[in-house]
Amino acid sequence: MKRLALVLALVAFAAMSLVAADKTVLKFLYYADSSQAGYADDMATWAKFKAANTDIDLQMEILFDRPYAQKLTAYAAAGTVPDVVYMWPTTNEASSLLQSKKMMKDLKTVLPADFLANFTSASLDPSAQTSKQLSELPQSFTFTTVMYANVGLLKSLGLSVPKTYAELKALVPKLRVKNVQTVLLPNADKWPAQSCLFSTISGRLLGDAFIDNVLAGKAKFTDKAFVDALAFYGQLYTDGIINISNVQMGYGDGPGLFAANKAAFIIDGDWRVGAYLTDKSNGKALIDPAKQASDFELLNFVAIPGEKNVNTASAIAGTGLGINKDLSGAKLDAAKRLLMYYYGKEVQTVKLETGAFIPTRTDVTSSKLEPLSQKQIKYYSTVPKTTYVLDGALDPTVFGPLNDGLQGIPLGAQTPAEVAALMQKAQDALPKK
Amino acid sequence: MARAVRNRAETNWAYWSFITPAFVLYLFVFGFPIILSFVLSVSNYGGGKMFGGDPWSLVGLGEYFKLANDSNFWLALKNNIYIVLISVLGQIPLAFVLAYIIFRKIVRWGEGWQAILYVPAIISVIVLGIMWKMIFASNGLLADIINAMDTQTFLTSLNGLLANGLNVTDDFVTKLLAISEPRALTGFTNPLAEIKDLILSNGYTTQNLDVFRSDMVNLLAPKWTPDFLSKQDIAMIPILFVTLWVWTGMYIIMFHANMQKIDTAIIEAARIDGASELQVLSHVIVPNLSGVLANAAILCIAGSLNTFALIWAMTAGGPMNITQVLAIYMFQNAFIGVPNFPLANAISVFIVLFSFILIGLTLLVERRYGGRE
Repeated sequence: MKRLALVLALVAFAAMSLVAADKTVLKFLYYADSSQAGYADDMATWAKFKAANTDIDLQMEILFDRPYAQKLTAYAAAGTVPDVVYMWPTTNEASSLLQSKKMMKDLKTVLPADFLANFTSASLDPSAQTSKQLSELPQSFTFTTVMYANVGLLKSLGLSVPKTYAELKALVPKLRVKNVQTVLLPNADKWPAQSCLFSTISGRLLGDAFIDNVLAGKAKFTDKAFVDALAFYGQLYTDGIINISNVQMGYGDGPGLFAANKAAFIIDGDWRVGAYLTDKSNGKALIDPAKQASDFELLNFVAIPGEKNVNTASAIAGTGLGINKDLSGAKLDAAKRLLMYYYGKEVQTVKLETGAFIPTRTDVTSSKLEPLSQKQIKYYSTVPKTTYVLDGALDPTVFGPLNDGLQGIPLGAQTPAEVAALMQKAQDALPKK
Repeated sequence: MARAVRNRAETNWAYWSFITPAFVLYLFVFGFPIILSFVLSVSNYGGGKMFGGDPWSLVGLGEYFKLANDSNFWLALKNNIYIVLISVLGQIPLAFVLAYIIFRKIVRWGEGWQAILYVPAIISVIVLGIMWKMIFASNGLLADIINAMDTQTFLTSLNGLLANGLNVTDDFVTKLLAISEPRALTGFTNPLAEIKDLILSNGYTTQNLDVFRSDMVNLLAPKWTPDFLSKQDIAMIPILFVTLWVWTGMYIIMFHANMQKIDTAIIEAARIDGASELQVLSHVIVPNLSGVLANAAILCIAGSLNTFALIWAMTAGGPMNITQVLAIYMFQNAFIGVPNFPLANAISVFIVLFSFILIGLTLLVERRYGGRE
């Protein structure tokens, strides 16, 4: 009996091995926040892909934020980039090596032209990516500065939505009386202040032309105009609009505090809408849909004194999936299938409905959007023109001192002029093109 | 003579036979990474496959010069030296004294105290780091306690002003400003007029004085912000405190265990001869444990130079890198932003060399001043 059991076990093992050998192993490094409302829906789409593609052994590694960036950098450093990777279009730290060393395939040569025809032309522009090829297909066009407003809270305190900086500043004591912060900008991770606020300040006060001139050596970060832009950023803290405690607040802490009426506004990217929507797996929402409709708005940042480019906001081609350049044969076919599934109408509709992003795929619409997602689309129409996100336009060695400085200025550890000088020094040290 | 030589050769042969496999394994696991790290530190390797990827070559000691000119490196080194000092000159003496107190039964329930002091050492440092970060946070436990006391003082003064009810005059607001936190007034251009206007516009009456009190506490009471984790010169102090708190218990166990090996007859004899507790400690216990002390110092130094998790969890080296140590500095150059692998490897080689120097110094001190166990 024992022998029979052993033989059966061996036969079963051999059969399983043969089945496994037939499968194409596809390693996939994916970026997802398990605490975000749409996570369960997202995972359901991948389960569906696995069920429909039994010939692919999809080995997913799912991480978020800093751990993702570190893992991807480590893979790239070791030359062991997974087969399919979630990545950024520029030298944002997580994708730095993938883009600069062209470690990914040009998707224009991989994906069929009639498939790519479903996407906006801006998302297919190779010049928007550091590698100057379609290393990833941007799934969205990301607006990095959105002022999420709790208008219900403002109304309950007899206050109105500010349109100018002076009006915003006037709210500070009135909110402080009720122990409410005016604007949340959690910046312990350094990049949010630069990506979600200062890029827009720079765009409004200086415009993209200034950055282009700096890159061409015709202007300097030490020019008064740029130093003044940094000084304005510092003023947000000295005027009490942003509390100094935000400098040490983790990026993940913001939405919970905002939804709990601890602040009237939070400045974040448009991608953060998903944090507030209903999680279909448990029916819970950080802000329930009725409140989303009545009490919350997505606003353009208030008018800044002296802004040249009125109401502009920083924006950049979004993240997306890329394929390792070394892939060929069955693995490449499997990767292509995965990308075409992910960028297909069905998954992109899920992404839209869960508030993950507004897809660049043009035929995706839905009547099931929660109020905040609908307001996200409305928000885009309030931005007449977009400007650079600085970490997408500048070399990482240059935006590094800026990110540090956007912590140092509020803390009083650095002056705007010092931060500008460090940026210029880093810019000058770059090899001339 | 010939037999003695043969015996020695056999002993040597046996010695090397036993030691070689482990030694080769040790070299492979510990020696090879150090050598590779040095090679990469003098190369222009930029990531990707080390063999078969982009070509790379040896380019010299440029990264070491870059390191020497980088203020962040010196800041990280300074912070590391603080940690070494608090470890060697803080943890060890404190642990030694506490172990001695328990050993000599100077306090009751010594074993219980030992267990309590050891508890932090068995909890994940990440968990401890997050816990202390929450305690030190701007809305954390420490701030709550201190602000509760400040609020009480402010409320006492405010109640004095409200003894005759709420009468919002210039005189009342002037007195209110006088008891207020000066920093709370910095956002106002004309505090007297603006705060008077704010009070009047909020419609406070004698019937809702509690709301008025609460609002004035929010607006004007002193607010202590535990911002020491973001101040250039003092940000390391809470980290050093936590470092001391976490690891002292481990050394108490180590010292106490070794003290128990000392023949108590020697101690009793010393006491009968009239030696005080301090003299017993300095003339009997310390000389007997000098080797243990040296080993503890080596452990401290090694642990201090690769300290990472606790600081990463508490501050991630920030803000503005002011709590950065060498291990975090190396990590940031290798895995955050634009990786600079040669520079990151130069930092790791420096950490190894610096460890050797400090450990060498410790052994020299032990040899010079240590007793015999």
